Amino acid sequence: MSDPINASLQSALTELEIQRKEVSGVRIKSYSFIAAGIGLAIIGFLFPGLLIAAAIGGLALLITGIVFLSKATDKFNSYRHEFKQRIIAAALKTIDQSLELEYHSGLSEQAFINSRLFAQQPDRYSSQDQIYGSAGKTRFSFSEVHAEYKTVTQTKNGRQEHWHTILKGIVFCADFNKNFHGLTLIKPKDIGSALGAWITDKIPLFSTSGKELVKLENPDFDKTFVTWSSDQVEARYILTPAMMEKLCELDSRCRYTISASFTDSCMYIAFPLDKDYFEPPVFKSLLDQTTLNEDISLIRFMYNIIHQLDLNTRIWGKE
Amino acid sequence: MILAALIIVVLLIAGIVIYNSLIGKKNQVTNAFSAIDVMLKKRFDLLPNLIETVKQYTKYEGDLLSKVVELRAQANAGNLTNDQKLNLDKQLTSSVKGLMVTVENYPDLKANQNFLQLQSTWAESEEQIAAARRTYNAAVTDYNDAIMMFPGSIFAGMMNYQPMNVLANTEEERKNISAKELFNS
Repeated sequence: MSDPINASLQSALTELEIQRKEVSGVRIKSYSFIAAGIGLAIIGFLFPGLLIAAAIGGLALLITGIVFLSKATDKFNSYRHEFKQRIIAAALKTIDQSLELEYHSGLSEQAFINSRLFAQQPDRYSSQDQIYGSAGKTRFSFSEVHAEYKTVTQTKNGRQEHWHTILKGIVFCADFNKNFHGLTLIKPKDIGSALGAWITDKIPLFSTSGKELVKLENPDFDKTFVTWSSDQVEARYILTPAMMEKLCELDSRCRYTISASFTDSCMYIAFPLDKDYFEPPVFKSLLDQTTLNEDISLIRFMYNIIHQLDLNTRIWGKE
Repeated sequence: MILAALIIVVLLIAGIVIYNSLIGKKNQVTNAFSAIDVMLKKRFDLLPNLIETVKQYTKYEGDLLSKVVELRAQANAGNLTNDQKLNLDKQLTSSVKGLMVTVENYPDLKANQNFLQLQSTWAESEEQIAAARRTYNAAVTDYNDAIMMFPGSIFAGMMNYQPMNVLANTEEERKNISAKELFNS
């Protein structure tokens, strides 16, 4: 991101940097006490003559460390709150005045399920950092989402739970510029989905989900995605040749293949990501704006989707 | 003996699957054309309103309007073949596009809510027809592949299934629909 961060943002960063230093100081203290406590405990085990003294000393250090850790957590929560309210919220305004952040809320689990982006229902779900606003005529929002499902295996030691990620990343939702009634899904083309599509195509008896495979003409799109829809014509009405090209272009800018769905008059896009965004650094200076610039780049990227996909063109009877 | 019976059963099942699949693909082509038909009907139904609205505001576009009226009469005549319908739609698209261009000369009409509504519904129907044509072409390609490839070709020969032609892409399908071109040309 190359655009300048305005002066008020700069002064807020300078103020928050003091808070950050406090948080990192308390954290370092707490870690040091805990480490010293563990060290003493080890000494106590190695030298049985010192066991009682080491146990008492170690315990005292551990308790002090935990007290400091709890203090650090409180301080961090306050720092995090300030960072999101003052820095991220102000950064949003540098992109568009309509953008707002609600960092405590995110995409609800029901909305995530209703988006139909993933067939797997989550067993554990969390979402935060909802950013919403308008780009021209189009309202949109996006949130960080972490959805997982559970599998249980029986081993000789008993039941073992395994958690698998459905999505860790961002779900973007925008009001679509055309009227439609059904469901259209665009999934990354991996071996599993390609095989499923092939079987459904060759032996239609296996198609039980009420969705049909949509064979589209764009070879790049077809190479990257598998498309399913409840209505073949409607899928092509949504996925015009231009839209397919734009989705391919959008995908090429992402590290992991995106998924998209069109349902309930909205367009949803899931972006799998490696890291959490909009979180303040603790052991790295706030004045080094690398982290913030990454956050702003992401917001700008999401904001620009509306223009990139031409969602503001409202000539098809939908205002 | 059992092996022979098993082979016969497998071949029989494969035969039924291929036969049903070919019939399914042919029906898909018919259905896909029905979708175009429905969209064309929807578009033709827009014409009376469009003509009436434009008539109220324009005084000097008689030729263009009468051309559209004439095409609408043809569309209503019924008993049209598929090719005739598509040809009629092509002419209508071009005439209405001409009409939209002349709207620039009539600011009152350009600002009329009813007209704006019709204009966006027309654009919507244009995209829907383009989508239906693409669906038809996909169904035809699927059908042609099925009847030309082995072992479908053997059944297709017995069932007298012939390859079908895809619809040529219209200019509108090839390019991106631009609001600027539609409304401000």
